Amino acid sequence: MPPLRDDEGVSEQPRVRPDPALALLEIYDAALPQVHGYLLTRCSDHTLAQDLTAETFLAAVAAARAHPEPVTVGWLIGVARHKLVDHWRRREREQRGLRLAHSTRTEPEDPWDATLDAVLARQVLVTLGPHHRAVLTLRYLDGLPVAEVADHLGRTLHATEALLVRARTAFRAAYEGGQSSD
Amino acid sequence: MTDPLDALRTPVTPVDPDPRFAAELRVRLERAVLAPPGARPQGNKTRGDAMTTAVDAPMQTLSSYLAVDDARRALEFYAAAFGARRSGEPIVMDDGRIGHAELIVGDSVLMLADEFPEAGHLGPRARGGPSQSLYLRVSDVDGTVRRAVAAGAELERAPADHDYGRNGVVIDPFGHRWMISASPAATTGPRHGDLVYLTHAVADSERARAFYGAVLGWTFSPGRVEDGWQVEGTNPPAGMWGGAEQPGIEPVYSVEDLDAALAAVRTSGGQAGDPQQRPYGRMAECVDDQGIRFQLLES
Repeated sequence: MPPLRDDEGVSEQPRVRPDPALALLEIYDAALPQVHGYLLTRCSDHTLAQDLTAETFLAAVAAARAHPEPVTVGWLIGVARHKLVDHWRRREREQRGLRLAHSTRTEPEDPWDATLDAVLARQVLVTLGPHHRAVLTLRYLDGLPVAEVADHLGRTLHATEALLVRARTAFRAAYEGGQSSD
Repeated sequence: MTDPLDALRTPVTPVDPDPRFAAELRVRLERAVLAPPGARPQGNKTRGDAMTTAVDAPMQTLSSYLAVDDARRALEFYAAAFGARRSGEPIVMDDGRIGHAELIVGDSVLMLADEFPEAGHLGPRARGGPSQSLYLRVSDVDGTVRRAVAAGAELERAPADHDYGRNGVVIDPFGHRWMISASPAATTGPRHGDLVYLTHAVADSERARAFYGAVLGWTFSPGRVEDGWQVEGTNPPAGMWGGAEQPGIEPVYSVEDLDAALAAVRTSGGQAGDPQQRPYGRMAECVDDQGIRFQLLES
């Protein structure tokens, strides 16, 4: 829309301060492949990646206005991470009944000394339940410290550590099963 | 202990999405950013919310953004002439000019703003005439042209039948040229047995218009008869009238030979009324052998 976006127009803008959400339009072209790439490599589903990408940008409009901080690609990746976690939380809720039927106790882990095949590891990750995928993605793919993972998941540090142990156990079982079946 | 899962570390690598998705999302984002605060839900907390923010009308791939020399009058004119509805409140600049406004016309979004010469945003008058035409499909070409002229448009070409359908051209009060054209449903002839029209006979047409407007987004233009209304842009076309003693929805089916069809109604155990000549063809009211009312139209 010319009047609002034209640079000269903005200098004469009667708005008291520029709308922080306008920055989203400026960085859209540069940010879109980054946000989309982040989501696609973590959810391995083109349609879902597009849906979450759209959710990310649209939610960023309100978020940029509510918390005026510089609108950067890194900030948008943070919004995308929230959307991804929200998605897995919804999936987890849908599957909760199923999960309770064979819930696992937390047992001490055996030390696992292996070098992972990246392709197989990724295939295995997709087969895990949403709660396990979420915690492993945040901890390992994104490389977040456990405390930040706990923040994202809305769990205590202790509960998150326990969840990580269960997720690693489930991952290892599926990975070793996948290796032997190949 | 080293953790084998550390091998999963995945830095952000850009992946271009489908260009069409990228273009559509940009349009949605522009709408979300440029929409006046409070005009739409700001939350977008869940997918459901995000999907309903554009509930008024889906932004299509191509939409018009008009520069007009009197945006306030334009909002009124497009409502009166083309049944446009407001989508959100216009953004008013400090100097009083309208910086952005959105209308819904049929199933499309029409955006407009006052002239901003400093941004090169000038209407057709300032440039010596229109350089483009807006092609508007309606179910009633003649009625739409009439309403446009009554609301202040200048008639450039009266409605007439062409190879491509009935069509008339007006210049609106701001200099934009509109080609008012019959929707495809009205230009290609229906086949025998086709459902061609739905008539909603209701007790209270104001309530019914509010209801279907809210539920289906229907807009209405005044019809030929008292308290009769044309639903704009549906396929098949539909109409409504109020004051019905027996409310109901009556389908109108196309037949090649009305007299033969009425005879078939009677021999099959239904009741057939007398054929009546209407502006759009000969038609008759019927009731099938189980009591359901319908109409037959020879067109």
